Amino acid sequence: MIRFEHVVKRFSAGVEAVADLSLEVAEGETLVLLGTSGSGKTTTMKMVNRLIEPTSGRILVEGTDVMRLEPIALRRRIGYAIQHIGLFPHMSVAENVAVVPRLLRWPKDKTERRVDQLLEMVGLGPDEFRHRYPTQLSGGQRQRVGVARALAADPPIVLMDEPFGALDPITRGQLQDEFLELESEIRKTVVFVTHDVFEAVKMGDRIALLDRGRLQQLARPSELVERPANEFVDQFLGQQRFQLALVTRTIQSILPEHETHEEQPETAGEGPCLRARDSLIAGLDRFKETGRQTLPVCRRGRRVGALSKRRLLDEITEALGEAGTEE
Amino acid sequence: MSHVVAFLQKLGPDVLARTHEHVFLTFFAMLVATSIAVPLGIFLARCRARAVVGTVMGLAAVVQTIPSLALIAFIVLLFALMHLQTIGVAPALTALVLYALLPILRNTYTGIRQVDPAVIEVATGLGMKPHQILFSVELPLSLPVIMAGIRIATVWTIGIATLCTLIGAGGLGDLIMRGLRSIQMDYLVAGTVPAAILALLFDWALGGLERWLTPEGIRAAGKTGGA
Repeated sequence: MIRFEHVVKRFSAGVEAVADLSLEVAEGETLVLLGTSGSGKTTTMKMVNRLIEPTSGRILVEGTDVMRLEPIALRRRIGYAIQHIGLFPHMSVAENVAVVPRLLRWPKDKTERRVDQLLEMVGLGPDEFRHRYPTQLSGGQRQRVGVARALAADPPIVLMDEPFGALDPITRGQLQDEFLELESEIRKTVVFVTHDVFEAVKMGDRIALLDRGRLQQLARPSELVERPANEFVDQFLGQQRFQLALVTRTIQSILPEHETHEEQPETAGEGPCLRARDSLIAGLDRFKETGRQTLPVCRRGRRVGALSKRRLLDEITEALGEAGTEE
Repeated sequence: MSHVVAFLQKLGPDVLARTHEHVFLTFFAMLVATSIAVPLGIFLARCRARAVVGTVMGLAAVVQTIPSLALIAFIVLLFALMHLQTIGVAPALTALVLYALLPILRNTYTGIRQVDPAVIEVATGLGMKPHQILFSVELPLSLPVIMAGIRIATVWTIGIATLCTLIGAGGLGDLIMRGLRSIQMDYLVAGTVPAAILALLFDWALGGLERWLTPEGIRAAGKTGGA
């Protein structure tokens, strides 16, 4: 879907913001560009919709070199969301969301229907929020509008630059969960920029860790945490790798083999259950909430196995041990 | 009381005619100045060459520092050198336009420049063309600042227009000068009071226009703050 081939970006000062970057983002995948400030993550993202143009190398979007595409048309096919500052302060919520449909000259009633649908989708009641202005919204609501605007014209690709930055941790977690839920339904190809390793691990199908313009490791979250490719990655994760190990491992991954894929016909029923894609930490929370010793595990509302608290604790101990003794 | 009636009977028609001339001078000067200064300000805001911006702004500032009386005299001289009519509305309007340029130019430039670059970048990222960014993002967001420039320039112009009587362009200055020469209080009052009222009236009307044109979202910003 998106492919970087030996991409280099050198700014006028001669500094290489991005150095020889090659990677591919598959259709429907969420790729997180992770790194500190100055790592080149934002520059990399902005080269996809030509807000920044590469010095050398090629970037292909759906097989075509972006430098051969008309930038305006390219950008209108790619969703774009950044921190809350990105909303137009003089436009109402509805006008903000409708920016791209209007640029594409959609008929008025189609745009209106789409705006309502999107506001509904990001959890803002259209009747209540349509006519509000950005200054009349909370931080979390603004980010939601930003996400809705990025998705407005139903683009196959969405670029997000710290879209949940500048929020309190609770709202942030909530928005991340909501976006994951949304993403699982709409299946966009997402390039997501963040400096927060926990956010990266949570949101990404894969993570590209960058440092000073160079790709340090490109891997699935669990792989990145459990098998750092080099010293930089190891240092970047630092003390957090223990916590990360508990977040990247899912209940699914520790279910005894024979139970994992058996789709048992019975439904999960009414009682509490663990979700297969939950992390070990979330699982532990669940045990604490319910006070049970054993909980059923379900995937998409179907029971796929069971897990005891004892076993979960053993796994957690093991995960912590592994993360600690790696090297 | 009878004094006032007599005053109005004697000078009423004259005051009306001079006020009419005054409004005409101000209005056209502002129309021309705005249609030069706003586009020029937008151009300067986008101009990457610092030298160009500095030169144009500097020139406008120099004009501003010339005393108004001297500027009018200078324009007359210039018109004479070019073999143009040195008396009447044309040189007067030219002087007024030159005077009104700077506040509008400076405010347009500042207004456009103060728009958050992040907002411009999002607009670009969403696929807006440069003219779409100008008309649907930059101008609406800088409108309050530009309007403030136009208001200041208008009030100045009303004041300076009283001097245009010296080169036969009419206006309320006629009454003031007549009062001065013959030491007649009636004429002085008949010239100055309407000029002051005009300035207040224009200022008030433009303020209303500014509020009406300011996008609701920015207006709301001042009142409610964050939710």
